[in-house]
Amino acid sequence: MTDLLKIESFKLRKKLRAWLGPILIFLLIMISFPLTVELASDELKNVFYSILWLSSLLTVMVSLDSIFLEDFDDGTLEHYLILNNSLFSMILIKIFIYWLLIGIPISILGTFFSISTSGDFSSFYIAFPSMLISSYIFINLFALGNSLSLNKGSALGALITMPLLFPVLILLGKIVLNANFGFEISNLLLLMLGVLLIIIVIIPFIISFVVKTHLE
Amino acid sequence: MLSNPLLEARNLSFSINQNKLFHGLSFELLYGEALHIKGGNGSGKTTLLKILLGITSPRKGHIKWVDNTNTVYLGHKNVLKDYLSVEDNLYLHGINSAKTSTKSILKELNLLNKIDVLVGNLSYGQKKKLALVRVLLNQSEVIVLDEPCVGLDDKTRAYIVDFLNAELSKNKSVIYTSHIPIEINSKKINIDKE
Repeated sequence: MTDLLKIESFKLRKKLRAWLGPILIFLLIMISFPLTVELASDELKNVFYSILWLSSLLTVMVSLDSIFLEDFDDGTLEHYLILNNSLFSMILIKIFIYWLLIGIPISILGTFFSISTSGDFSSFYIAFPSMLISSYIFINLFALGNSLSLNKGSALGALITMPLLFPVLILLGKIVLNANFGFEISNLLLLMLGVLLIIIVIIPFIISFVVKTHLE
Repeated sequence: MLSNPLLEARNLSFSINQNKLFHGLSFELLYGEALHIKGGNGSGKTTLLKILLGITSPRKGHIKWVDNTNTVYLGHKNVLKDYLSVEDNLYLHGINSAKTSTKSILKELNLLNKIDVLVGNLSYGQKKKLALVRVLLNQSEVIVLDEPCVGLDDKTRAYIVDFLNAELSKNKSVIYTSHIPIEINSKKINIDKE
């Protein structure tokens, strides 16, 4: 497992455009958004989180464009299946590495922008945990979509994933709404964490079956 | 244990959309034996290899390997990353390029001076050779090769044949498909439709 972790992180780290490119896209959206609208500071705060969630969604979508395609094309998936009889661990680790190299950096950047926009450090407690958890959920869901549309184009993968993303986006909206009204948000964060814990195990399991079918 | 077959395949059948690739195929493979799967283009040689490796399921029939058999496979795909160097690609397969045994094989295959070159910049034949390094350094009991000699020069082909003969003499087994004759003593099955 440790070897797999090292190998998968090595592969992604060496492919700068796969992780640094999406982070730069995220940064670009977050910087350019306030410049392109004429909103008073208070109004900006109201729409800021919507932009934050949507840009993290887009960043994840772009970064996961070829999460399995390259390994499928060069025979890595086939090779791993022969060696281990299962793709589960590889997919679990692959998704985790994407979160580590893309999900965490955009969560940190998003939190930074959240604090700077609101001018209030307490927004850290809204933005950081919700970004961390939601990015991991987004990565899992887009990975599932891409596995289903492996070799058939990433647009189809995004289309398949969209309906699954809506509940997460609604939950994120609720978190911001509750925080604005001064209500407790920890219960909603725990709910989202619970969803993540289920997804972390189930999605790689489903993906491993889907990818095996493609290999057949 | 050595007298028992390493692999037993019984009544294997496979078809794609009503098109029967092979039907009722039975054979066995013993330790130290080579099996040459013959057939024309599109006859299902690669599919049969995938069935034997457990990637694809046969429509009918069954396969029995001796428990915990280690297999190394080199198919049409080279399992190489174009954006990584030769050294990095070897690392991905757990091969230390600084080891004497690795260096010796790389030198033999004229790849030692390419160690820092991106795989994307290598020729087809050089990529094939690099993919073979993984097979040459592997300690698996069974070597499965799909057209191993395609794209290789005569010297490398001879090297591969010598390697396979040496592995067979160590009681390892080889399953391969090849349109190019390979001089190893092997059992043959022809899966061409009659």
